[in-house]
Amino acid sequence: MAKAKIGVYWAAACGGCDCSLLEVNEQILDVIEAADILFWPCAADAKYEDVRAFAHNELDLVLFNGAIRTEENREMAELLRTRARWLAAYGSCAHTGGVIGLANLSTHDEIFATVFGKQANWPKTHVEVAGRSLDLPAFLERLTPLDTVVDVDYYVPGCPPPREVVSGLFSALIAGDLPPKGTVFASEKNLCEECARERKQERITRILRPHEQEPDPEKCLLDQGFVCMGPATRGGCGAVCPAANMPCTGCAGPTARIRDQGSAMLNTLASLIGTGEENEEQWEAEDAVIAQLADLFGTFYRFSSAHSLFGRRYHE
Amino acid sequence: MADERANGFEPKIVAFLCRWCSYAGADLAGVSRMTYPPNVVPIRVNCSGRVDVGMVVDALSSGADGVLIGGCHPGDCHYVNGNYKTRRRMEMLKRALDGVGIDRRRVQLEWISASEGAKFRDTVTAFTQLIKELGPSPVPVGATADGEG
Repeated sequence: MAKAKIGVYWAAACGGCDCSLLEVNEQILDVIEAADILFWPCAADAKYEDVRAFAHNELDLVLFNGAIRTEENREMAELLRTRARWLAAYGSCAHTGGVIGLANLSTHDEIFATVFGKQANWPKTHVEVAGRSLDLPAFLERLTPLDTVVDVDYYVPGCPPPREVVSGLFSALIAGDLPPKGTVFASEKNLCEECARERKQERITRILRPHEQEPDPEKCLLDQGFVCMGPATRGGCGAVCPAANMPCTGCAGPTARIRDQGSAMLNTLASLIGTGEENEEQWEAEDAVIAQLADLFGTFYRFSSAHSLFGRRYHE
Repeated sequence: MADERANGFEPKIVAFLCRWCSYAGADLAGVSRMTYPPNVVPIRVNCSGRVDVGMVVDALSSGADGVLIGGCHPGDCHYVNGNYKTRRRMEMLKRALDGVGIDRRRVQLEWISASEGAKFRDTVTAFTQLIKELGPSPVPVGATADGEG
């Protein structure tokens, strides 16, 4: 069997996704037996010209991590799409926009002022120095997930994708048995299915944050009042965060049956808030609990805001 | 947007009405030959507790300028407490709308019983007027990127 040809690309992301490929430990040796990595800017020198030189569909699989933030990201997504038979959105940013999608709630000026300080220091897309000119790719209006600019074949969720998930993808690649288009390399069920904690569906009368109190390691975090995104989040990681006594932050995106992760979680929480006694006298106290939810988007849409109604700021 | 307003902006309003109270109230308004603005598209649901945040979000990102949710009065819910759950959901949703700059008044929860045809008429009339004043929704159609689901 001819060796498969694969590529890995890093768009708007932190770099954690590239590292996560090595988390499969010795399995990476099997990957190299079965496939040649022809393009991986993080690990091996390659120029965009080399990618342009590939034939149409020459690469069997491209793992694209990072969101589309700049013109360069978009151009590379479009280019790699034409060179890849199978294109995978690898990691939260490519899958749902990721944590950096929260930047859509700020204006360009606010983002640039935070990152670069004074306006004089802001990067310019075109500069001329000593008779030569330099062009930088422009910053796009909004950050979006990969599938908003090109057709995506597979999704590999997680921030970064956990070892079990990456290993599943590599096993399919090594066996030469890639699943049908649209496959999400994770569980069809939610995170709670994999969580070892005991759930009693207790009512929530106070919202707790992890820095305020150490959670009981045996009981369901939601039962204790911590906002754990488990019910609205796709499983597949083995509930590693709850196992480490931290609430799930929802990096794997929505479950197979829902589209909007944050609103699904808001619904879940709305059913749990209150003493369990349902009458008008409770409303004030319930609203006070709701008011304790600090940073609504950062909590409920931490990884999926770019994918939602709340992925931008409106003016009216 | 300003043009649309000048040319007589007619808002699109989605109303989720529970079958036991508010939808029956709307029916009563109809059989009583009450008149109210035709901007409302009623969607019958079994209980206001069926209306989740995602349905309202979907309506807003599919072109609705306002969303009305009609449920039974507190204590009257056919399913005991569905309306209480929806009240909490909408409270959360409104906080989320505030956070992104969508006027929270675009989503309204009202208790309308089966005998309150007049209240249905008055609510729809006032809500339509309010949305006309607020103008077209700032949410572009298709604001939610479709996921794999």
